[in-house]
Amino acid sequence: MTAKRTMTLNLTDAEMRVLDELSVRKDITKTAVLRQALRLYQTIDARVEKGEKLLFENEATKEKAELMLL
Amino acid sequence: MKLERGKDWWMARARREGDAVIGAGLLAFDPALDERASGTQIAAIEETRIAFGKFVNLMRRRRGFSMEQLAQAADLDASELLVIEDDVHYVPEPRTVFKLAETFEVSHRRLMQLAGLAAANDAGFRQEAVRFAARSESIQKLTPEESSALEAFVAVLSEQEPKRVK
Amino acid sequence: MTVDVSTIYLLDVATGESVEAELRDAIEQPQLDDWQTKWQPALLAVLQELARKGVPMSQWPQSWHWNWAQKTARVQGLLAFRGFSVVAQGETQGLAQVDLTKASREPCQVGKPVVYLDYLEVAPWNRPEFGTAPRLRGVGSALVTAAVALSDEEGFKGRLGLHSLPQADAFYRRIGMTDLGQDPAYQNLRYFEMTAEQARAFLEQE
Repeated sequence: MTAKRTMTLNLTDAEMRVLDELSVRKDITKTAVLRQALRLYQTIDARVEKGEKLLFENEATKEKAELMLL
Repeated sequence: MKLERGKDWWMARARREGDAVIGAGLLAFDPALDERASGTQIAAIEETRIAFGKFVNLMRRRRGFSMEQLAQAADLDASELLVIEDDVHYVPEPRTVFKLAETFEVSHRRLMQLAGLAAANDAGFRQEAVRFAARSESIQKLTPEESSALEAFVAVLSEQEPKRVK
Repeated sequence: MTVDVSTIYLLDVATGESVEAELRDAIEQPQLDDWQTKWQPALLAVLQELARKGVPMSQWPQSWHWNWAQKTARVQGLLAFRGFSVVAQGETQGLAQVDLTKASREPCQVGKPVVYLDYLEVAPWNRPEFGTAPRLRGVGSALVTAAVALSDEEGFKGRLGLHSLPQADAFYRRIGMTDLGQDPAYQNLRYFEMTAEQARAFLEQE
């Protein structure tokens, strides 16, 4: 297994609640939630950096909303 | 990620696979006929062009040159050197290949053949090129293996071609 | 990045003997070179032979145009994409790439993260569909196993998703995956998924 390093993370109660909820709903550990978040953030950021836009489309109405990443 | 399984475990899997076809991923279903016709030639040229890109890369590094320094020494454009080292689909300018042969002191004809700009009339040369490409990796520092692979290939590039049998 | 290398074993079809092989959790330059200088010419030779024999195009192997060099370059440095290669007898015998950003579609695990098997290809000389005897057996199974094991290690409990090549549907059904039908968004390839339970059975099977 690839060597991993440990770090302490300071989260607010609200953040902790979200992390707990996601961990239950996605059926993965809290560490896995945060590692997944990092993967997704990097993937999206790489595409935005290339000049692409992140759009959400409502399947029923076909309405599109752009998510801004700064 | 490491998988710790014994020999019997893997062999049982291999046997169970039988003649199953295994593959996954999105692909196009209709390869165009004319593309296929020229495919063999393209593959052969790209084969030696991999060696060409690697040869330029290793020779440059052996001299401790950055791309810009080599560009200056050979009177070339640094951006062209960049695509030569990285993109097998790129067809270099004959002048560029000529300049590189001069700088690296190897046969002009041979380097032209390696770059896919001229046809080589001996199959052995292509094999040497492929072997060279397979032995070298694009990492930062030249390993002793890369150095010896490079030395051997420089010798091949300096040799004259066998005379065409009339 | 350091590459983890696991020792695995394949079956030499001609001799019936075992062959020691490496399962590497990356696709590196030597693999891309093999794809270009060995797989591609071998595949072209087979395709030309098929064309000469007048085999209808629908029966042709389906991965002939895949370009690994471009695919790996596009995802280099991204945590979400991981590669695997099987190397034996000094040559690349199979390649796979997975995407960790996808979510499950199977009703009992919908929305949960899966390892999505983006691409899987076995070297032309190991592929049984060409009519000649394949050299090594077990390459495809090893790559699927690696993807399920990665899913397990990443905390995705072995959940796996993939779009199967038509000729490979039978294999994925046989290893216990759920067939979720044709996917119009992927040229009607069938989408298969392995649930956490199916994955456990798959990995534990002796």
